[in-house]
Amino acid sequence: MKVSFVGNFGARPEVSKAILAKVTEKIEPTVLYDIGDSQRLIPALAEAEIVVSHIWKKDFPPAPRLKFLQSPAAGLDLIDLPSLPAGVTICNVDGHEQAIAEYCLMTMLALSHKLVDIATAFRDQSNWSGGGAGGGPLHGEILGKTVGIVGYGKIGRETAKRAAAFGCNVIAANRSPVADTGDAAEIYPLAELDRMLPRCDVVVIAAGLGPETRGLIDAGRLALMKPTALLINIGRALICDEEALFAALKDNKIGGAALDVWWRYPSPAEPNARPSHLPFHELPNVLMTPHCSSATDGARERRLGGVARNIDLYVRGEALRNVVMTTS
Amino acid sequence: MKALFLGNVAADTYEGIKGELPPSLDCVILNDPVDRSALPEAARDADILVSNRWMADYPPAPHFRLVQSVATGVELIDLAALPKGCAVCNSFGHETAIAEYVVMAMLALHHRFFQISGEFRERGSWSTSWVQSGTPHGEVRGSTLGIVGYGRVGREVARRAAPFGCRILAANRSPRENDSDVERIYPLSGLDEMLPLCDTVAICTALGPETTGLINARRLGLMKPGAFLINIARGQVIDEDALYAALSEGRLGGAAIDVWWQYPSPNEPNRRGSRHPFHELPNVIVTPHNSGWTSGMVRRRWDEIADNIGRFCRGDSLINLVTTA
Repeated sequence: MKVSFVGNFGARPEVSKAILAKVTEKIEPTVLYDIGDSQRLIPALAEAEIVVSHIWKKDFPPAPRLKFLQSPAAGLDLIDLPSLPAGVTICNVDGHEQAIAEYCLMTMLALSHKLVDIATAFRDQSNWSGGGAGGGPLHGEILGKTVGIVGYGKIGRETAKRAAAFGCNVIAANRSPVADTGDAAEIYPLAELDRMLPRCDVVVIAAGLGPETRGLIDAGRLALMKPTALLINIGRALICDEEALFAALKDNKIGGAALDVWWRYPSPAEPNARPSHLPFHELPNVLMTPHCSSATDGARERRLGGVARNIDLYVRGEALRNVVMTTS
Repeated sequence: MKALFLGNVAADTYEGIKGELPPSLDCVILNDPVDRSALPEAARDADILVSNRWMADYPPAPHFRLVQSVATGVELIDLAALPKGCAVCNSFGHETAIAEYVVMAMLALHHRFFQISGEFRERGSWSTSWVQSGTPHGEVRGSTLGIVGYGRVGREVARRAAPFGCRILAANRSPRENDSDVERIYPLSGLDEMLPLCDTVAICTALGPETTGLINARRLGLMKPGAFLINIARGQVIDEDALYAALSEGRLGGAAIDVWWQYPSPNEPNRRGSRHPFHELPNVIVTPHNSGWTSGMVRRRWDEIADNIGRFCRGDSLINLVTTA
């Protein structure tokens, strides 16, 4: 069975090696990191029955034998579906949702408690004015706060479960109807997001990127949020309007944000690229991280283990897990 | 009936609860306890004192029957200076806020949040991201949390940590009934058995003879290499020199420290919290004893105080009774 690991995620040495170490069935692997290397990409795709990649570009060479495309990521937004042959089963991986839910709780706590401001002032200036001898300005907490989750999938549910234990009132909005509401007290259809947003003290963007969510959080919807509300985005940057979000944060129209996903990403030529053309890093009410909310040791084990397990299942002719769709 | 609100915290409390007090209650507010000029007159016929302080050299207060502390600790209230039979009550409302801090700190330490977000903000470094082949950071799922002191704060921590998929252990001085969030509650004498199992140790105990210096060099040595320590209790529970050594030599993975061995004074408002430069260590989160200092805590505490004053005026049984003079 020929398996091609392709692109700067699936073919990254520590990723492909870790997956191969967990695969128990006999396979013939090819590993190709640089998708621009067409001399090697053509044979890699021509013969593979399984491809492990988070990316599939419009101009990829033919893959006539491809039956199973396994992404090592959750989001399929870099896979150009029309360019795939018919009858290809596409699977993603999970196991990141617990790590990302931890990030959501960590950042909603840190923003509410003003942790970074207080710890930085204490570290740099031994400024005790937040407490110590008693008195001083008070900070916030999340007990009793309303947390609105946009996109109530695996990540949203894991976030809801943890937030509920803190005494938060959890509500959510989802594109499709939700049968099991889990720890959310109420689920809005996505079309009624405008009714949910004004209620929220914290808005967590946990949706995938698609036609319904691209640009969803625009200037009008940011204006519906409370002036003290916090926005956490671990979905995709393009769900938020870049200019409108920057303006809302800069002008204190919302209380603050924690952003893990971005409009611009680094490249070999620009490894330290700023993540937006706007200086989010200069805003004091923003916590920012480099798309790493899921990059925990535990999530990596769960995800790479999931890829290896699916390869084994395919080779043995058994049912695959985390099937997203089959191309027609 | 007359109540004396003494000190700045009590004065703020009065402003927060004046609408909830019985209309017949006569209230005197003395914002500055150092200014003793008005104190003898105010104390002479007061029935209730609302303060966190009543010292031996304060003027006579023969009618005090309730001292309502505006804090949890009543170590600044001298029982010998109170009339016999006077009830001393404290106030809470901080335990949920502190529990939020403990879980927040545990997450931030495991996720290396300060390093990652700091480098990204300051230098645009993506090196911790999967996009750039970064090393994974930790998560709390599947890790073991040990709570030293399983009282009000400790229980609130356990309740919040449980849905993260942590294994939770606790140690407590007096026996506690097991609850569903905790796998096992050790006696304090079993602490040495618990410490080697923990990825995170949260100190949530009161300061007393059994807990002063409890976390010493030997016990720090029992902790897993790379484990994290969180202290929201009192500085003196931990040996200052031993903790600095364990952190600066990298034997512990990091710490979040909210309570300190030394505090600021009017002469030295920016005094460091320790004789050691904990603030220079990259793996240490330092905060100025304000883990519970939230707007919600103040509101809950005010509500408790107003409730208790109302109970006293009506002759109902008191809440949060610590002792009777």
